[in-house]
Amino acid sequence: MTKGLNHFIKCFLGGLLTISVIFSCNDSPYMQGKRLYLANCANCHMEDGSGLSALIPSIQKSVYLGKPEIACILKNGLRDTIFKDSTFLVREMPAFKKFSATEITNIVNFVNHSWNTSFKETTITQIEEAINICQ
Amino acid sequence: MKLIFYYILGAFSLLLVSCKNNETLPYLGQTVVENGKEIHHKVGQFSHYNQDSVLMDNSSLSEYVYVADFFFTSCPSICPKVAKQMLRIYDTVQDEPMVKLVSFTIDPKRDDVKKLRLYADNLGIDHNKWYFLTGDKEATLELANTYFVAAFEDADAPGGFDHSGKILLVDKDGHVRSFSEGTDPENTPKIIEDIKKLVASYKAENK
Ligand code: HEC
Repeated sequence: MTKGLNHFIKCFLGGLLTISVIFSCNDSPYMQGKRLYLANCANCHMEDGSGLSALIPSIQKSVYLGKPEIACILKNGLRDTIFKDSTFLVREMPAFKKFSATEITNIVNFVNHSWNTSFKETTITQIEEAINICQ
Repeated sequence: MKLIFYYILGAFSLLLVSCKNNETLPYLGQTVVENGKEIHHKVGQFSHYNQDSVLMDNSSLSEYVYVADFFFTSCPSICPKVAKQMLRIYDTVQDEPMVKLVSFTIDPKRDDVKKLRLYADNLGIDHNKWYFLTGDKEATLELANTYFVAAFEDADAPGGFDHSGKILLVDKDGHVRSFSEGTDPENTPKIIEDIKKLVASYKAENK
């Protein structure tokens, strides 16, 4: 192989790598949060956070966005029962006890960054404080 | 110049191929030939109550093309995702009276008529367009097989049942003509296209 061609291929591949890294990072700066959201939340709240009609709330416009108290919902879960005609449906958000404060912070930042228009980054300290109060 | 010619030729042949695909949907499942006639797989017989306590069976749907899935209301795992895709399909067929949606519960013990009505109300759908059906459990699990949905009780699975999130398209004669994985939103546009094709083929027949 000629030296020029070799050089060209290296530059090309390097460039491709740079571009793909830039694009994948641009997607969301909260990669762990995104991964955790997709693995643990998207089943119910959907990838786009839209939920399922009245059965699972949308988090796109949730009042908890931007508030550290959202950590309490993740830690302790949430449960509501709809009654009608002597029957009921349980709307249950499971508790994610296994999540560390770091993981919760990452999820919260991912969620806020995705759907909270006045996004401000939440710190681990804020989340830890919130968790202490809700327990 | 020659290149452009080949390019146009290529584009045209692609167009031809895609038009050809428009013709008919395949028959899913085994097709046997009896006395020189092809007999295609059909879904099993059912007799189930809908969310408004009306007893329905295969003949209730013989005038319709329908989209089916198997679910249960207390399912914490894949069901919301599949329901979301059913809802997406529902939205696209609202104005097409030939199409119905049918969701069979595989947990009839908990999902009685009242529970299904409450579920349907909270999903916000038209009860005459989308039926939620409950019936004998064993019969429903067996029925699921004829729709190519694997469903069985499993104490270890989330919610006590293990099942696949397939969405099936069934024609007026009970033949399965298309399916999608309800857990993958990217699968949905294809089945929506197939519904349109099937409806169009019935309309063309009646001309
Ligand atoms: C099994 C389904 C399910 C899973 C999984 C789930 N949620 Fe929920 N979530 C719900 C339901 C149902 C509610 C409503 C609970 C209620 O009505 O009390 C809810 C409520 C919420 C709310 C409050 C919304 C509002 O404004 O009322 C937020 C925020 C939320 N979930 C975030 C999450 C996050 C983040 C995850 C992943 C770590 C997650 N959920 C996982 C079902 C789920």
